Amino acid sequence: MLTRRGFLAASAAGAALGTQVLGGLSRAALAQGRPLTFCSWGGALSELEKTAMLEPFARSKGIEIVHTSPTAYAKIKAMVEGGTPEWDLVDVGGRYIFQGADFLEPLDLSLIPNAKKLDAGWVTPKGIFTSTGATVIAWNTKALPADKGPASWKDFWDVKTFPGPRGLYKPFYYNYEAALLAAGVPRADVYPVTDDKVKMALDKLRELKPHVKVWWSAGAQPPQLLASGELAMSSAWSGRIFAGIKEKAPVAMTYKDGIAWGNAWVVVKGSPHKAMAMQAINYAISEEAQTRLLDVGTYGPVLGAAAAKGTADQKTWMVSAPENARDMLIINEEQAALYSAKYEAEWNRFQLS
Amino acid sequence: MSAAQNAPGKPASGTPAAAAFATLFLLLPAGLVLGAAFLLPLARLFGLSGSMPAGVLAPYLELLGDDVYRKVFFNTVFFAIVVTAVTLVLGYPLALALARMRAGWRALFLLAVLMPLWISVLVRTFSWMLLLERNGPINRALIASGLTDTPMSLLFNKTGVLIGMVHVLLPYAVLPIFGAILRIDPALLRASEGLGAPRHVTFRRVLLPLSMRGVATAATFVFLLSLGFFITPALLGGASEITLSMLVENLVNERLAWPLAAAASVILLALTLALLAVAGRFLSPAAVAGVGR
Repeated sequence: MLTRRGFLAASAAGAALGTQVLGGLSRAALAQGRPLTFCSWGGALSELEKTAMLEPFARSKGIEIVHTSPTAYAKIKAMVEGGTPEWDLVDVGGRYIFQGADFLEPLDLSLIPNAKKLDAGWVTPKGIFTSTGATVIAWNTKALPADKGPASWKDFWDVKTFPGPRGLYKPFYYNYEAALLAAGVPRADVYPVTDDKVKMALDKLRELKPHVKVWWSAGAQPPQLLASGELAMSSAWSGRIFAGIKEKAPVAMTYKDGIAWGNAWVVVKGSPHKAMAMQAINYAISEEAQTRLLDVGTYGPVLGAAAAKGTADQKTWMVSAPENARDMLIINEEQAALYSAKYEAEWNRFQLS
Repeated sequence: MSAAQNAPGKPASGTPAAAAFATLFLLLPAGLVLGAAFLLPLARLFGLSGSMPAGVLAPYLELLGDDVYRKVFFNTVFFAIVVTAVTLVLGYPLALALARMRAGWRALFLLAVLMPLWISVLVRTFSWMLLLERNGPINRALIASGLTDTPMSLLFNKTGVLIGMVHVLLPYAVLPIFGAILRIDPALLRASEGLGAPRHVTFRRVLLPLSMRGVATAATFVFLLSLGFFITPALLGGASEITLSMLVENLVNERLAWPLAAAASVILLALTLALLAVAGRFLSPAAVAGVGR
């Protein structure tokens, strides 16, 4: 009873029931009454998006923006199907632009003129990337000194040279790429996704599975589990590890063999604030906002003009800096959406078995 | 209700029809709340589980016919059985000790048993995470005492789940057994001893049979609560300790497979109701109502 009141009740049932109960009232009136709501993943990323992007934007427009976390795709689905979106602007994993296309508004680029200044890869019809990060190999510095850590996914798989419990992300996302790189597939051949490559990835993961103690689902888990010594090594979101290092946690990371990605902003279908949400995207990718990311030091800018202003020191942590980017694989979100959806049953079978 | 003046000491309503009406009237608020907040969503859940294009039974066949999902059912029942057994073994002596204490001590110890119930399960589970960590206090104590050289793996596996669940559910086992022991007439125990029975015979032939109702109630409570447990296995378990309620969460939030999630919930509900029906044969409502007395 007490236990059932857990996450489920809070998320799915809550959302579903909420839309049920409110269904009879005027939905438009209800939605108009609440301020523009932004949802992201929490932690270092939400902090960055709030201070560098959305608070200055809200001040300039004289509006209030509500910040919430974490992003949950089930909630977006429930909101759109229920007809009362409670979120307007959401930070999603890039694959969701494609996987969740039915639940997203197409972006009106006339409201987002700054999009022209970005590299074309950051702009898609239903989502625009506003900052960069990577899924990296991180480790506990008491188990492995910072300079003697792993430098590739091959090392991550090598439990003899680098012993200790591992952590990996719970969905197939990132693991497909990491496993193929560990299996020796060259970066250029990771995509396109094929049945054979998926099988190779799953076989490689099956090899490591006995050593994977935690399949993490929240970005806060890897730095915490690494710092406490519960894990020796884990995949992790780069900004979370940087935040941990700043707090003097015994963690380290490498960009070598990292999987680079962007944080995508999307507008929820049926949002009553969609025009304002798109203007917020426009501000987030402006040079003014993007330059602020340099001083925060967790997730980097997508705008080349802002990245160019970084000092040598700042470039050491920026995903887009050439000396880092050359060691990394850039994730193909459309392909990631494909393998996430198509091989979902196989992945769940792998996880449960 | 009734116009007739009742004699003192008689029930308020006169005729049987009026009494029935009064009963219905009293049940109305609870009925409305249950209907709107429980029965209606439950009906929708059934509807959702049957909404797959492949057919009404498709999600049930998928769940029951797949060995991967069968492992989840097995995990769920396994944890419920082990947790029930362990809480009974730990709870019975505790309940017996409580029943034999003097009033002042008993109040203090009862408070100690009840206190955890007032703390959120989430808080208790997180506390266990800190205690069971690789470098946590339990492992440090074990290493300092020389019992083990390397830290024991207590978290994100079966051990962690069992420790957490037993701790959370122990009060639900202690209280019904305690209540049942208290209701036993002490004269019976004295009579047994007076007739020359050794203490273990008195325990086995008098105390234990007379407190069996409480044990059965405790077992039912703990078992049913274990079946639907979510937070503790989700936080303390690893990838292979997935239970039915975790599967439902995964289907809802990650896979967005809602008909399948609804079907899994219906199966969990059916399992619970079936067990209640079986347990109902052994439990009188009075025994259940006596819990915590």
